[in-house]
Amino acid sequence: MVAIVGVGFCGFNSTTPDLSWKEIVYEAAIKAYSDAGINPRRDVDSFVTCEEDFWEGVAISDEFVPDQLGAVVKPTCTVCSDFLYGLATAYMQIKSGLAEIVVLEAHSKASDLKTLGNAIRHAMDPIWLRPISRAHPYYLAALEMQIYMCERGLCEEDVARVVVKNKNNALLNPSAPYAANVKLEDVMRSPKVFDPLKKMEIAQTSDGAVILVVASDEVARKLTDTPIWIKGIGWWTETNSYDTASFSALYAYKAAKMAYKMAGIANPVKEVDFAEVDDRFAFKELQHIEALQFANKFEVARLLRDGYFDRDGVIPVNVSGGSLGVGNLLECTGGQKTLEVILQLRGEAGKRQIDAEVGVAQVWRYLPTFSGAVAVLGV
Amino acid sequence: MIEKITDPEKLRHWGGKIELYWVYTSGKAGDLFFKKLKADGKFLAAKCKKCCWIYFPPRIYCPKDFSETEYLEVSGEGRVRAFTVARLDPYEKELKKPEIYALIDIDGTNGSIIHLLGEVNAEEVSIGMRVKPVLKPKEQMLGDLTDILYFKPI
Repeated sequence: MVAIVGVGFCGFNSTTPDLSWKEIVYEAAIKAYSDAGINPRRDVDSFVTCEEDFWEGVAISDEFVPDQLGAVVKPTCTVCSDFLYGLATAYMQIKSGLAEIVVLEAHSKASDLKTLGNAIRHAMDPIWLRPISRAHPYYLAALEMQIYMCERGLCEEDVARVVVKNKNNALLNPSAPYAANVKLEDVMRSPKVFDPLKKMEIAQTSDGAVILVVASDEVARKLTDTPIWIKGIGWWTETNSYDTASFSALYAYKAAKMAYKMAGIANPVKEVDFAEVDDRFAFKELQHIEALQFANKFEVARLLRDGYFDRDGVIPVNVSGGSLGVGNLLECTGGQKTLEVILQLRGEAGKRQIDAEVGVAQVWRYLPTFSGAVAVLGV
Repeated sequence: MIEKITDPEKLRHWGGKIELYWVYTSGKAGDLFFKKLKADGKFLAAKCKKCCWIYFPPRIYCPKDFSETEYLEVSGEGRVRAFTVARLDPYEKELKKPEIYALIDIDGTNGSIIHLLGEVNAEEVSIGMRVKPVLKPKEQMLGDLTDILYFKPI
């Protein structure tokens, strides 16, 4: 097996005016190496980073990676995707025998990006979608939300409850800039900026970095008494076309199937203790809970209302506060979700600690995609 | 250091902006689609020769089983599967006039298109509503998606 033996993070903040993105990464890297008890210049065989040029504002952004990671004159590769895809790459590099210790990095300096909406527009099909898209691309999420609500018979409150749960969960997370003691009526009063999508149901961006030290079985056991094992990992893409998409988070269902199969999990409700799922739009959390097979498709909303996914529920979801509480960290979103699973499994989650042995981290590739990845971690 | 700087523009910084321009070619299927739309005001879809799935917008390959397609003509009319009233522009500033975006299932195909709705108030739009495309005057057409101005209720 492959294990996570060190973790470090910096953030998460709505803005980080005092640090450049490189300094954010440096701060997280120092913590990760200290946590793992390694020297990056001596011990690390390979570095994997996750980023996307449009978020960074520089082209060939992978070229800017090594310095702040202790990775100069070392094997380095960039995965142009979310952190969880990088975790899959790190896993494969170790399983193949190419490396024994791999460092994985993702960051967000979203506050530097003054035109998030236009960056997302550039991800739209330039022939069949972008030319008529004058509004903020959030409208695409609203269309998917309406289809999902109709197909599942959901009311507005069913979606709004996700915001209430996550923002309140975030109150116990010192690294959650969007924590708030909100009630259902507060969310229901939030303006419908993209009817039926409400302003408070959209995760705002935040800054930060997450860095993991990943190691082979043998090395992991030497480095630490508390390795977190990567039990399963999966990723899946449906299509980029809005005319053939299922609008039901099929990507998450299939990625979870792949990860569960690898982890030997037949009954997720019984075998998974908690999950951090992508909730960058509140309705996405409901879709993803369903895709991870924690509930039947017509039961998700009722179970959420009954507290099944609360911090003290049967399967706690987004104990960290999720992206609605912590913020949309762009390609580091899966990093924040993985970080929370690791902290919980290690018993280092502070006031929000729950009792758990197996956790799932799930991420979506954000608008305008039908792609995502899932990791199953355990002690 | 207790106090923090909260405005990035108060630090030494560089306001970056890069102007980039592309030419996006619409490909064989796209070219034919937009030429036919301009010449005859007609709409093209594409049917997979193997599984008979009818794609709209048309493409020359079937993404499901990776085989060839053949073109067929459709009316361009359809039904609203989903719609939203967008109130913010890409900079998250309020739009002067809210825009209605819809996912429209196109008649006689398995496909759909996302486009604007026009000549209708938001309160009057419903799921399943029948709509038809409104085209630009022929002499103003550019050969791209904006040649369809919007869809309006039938």
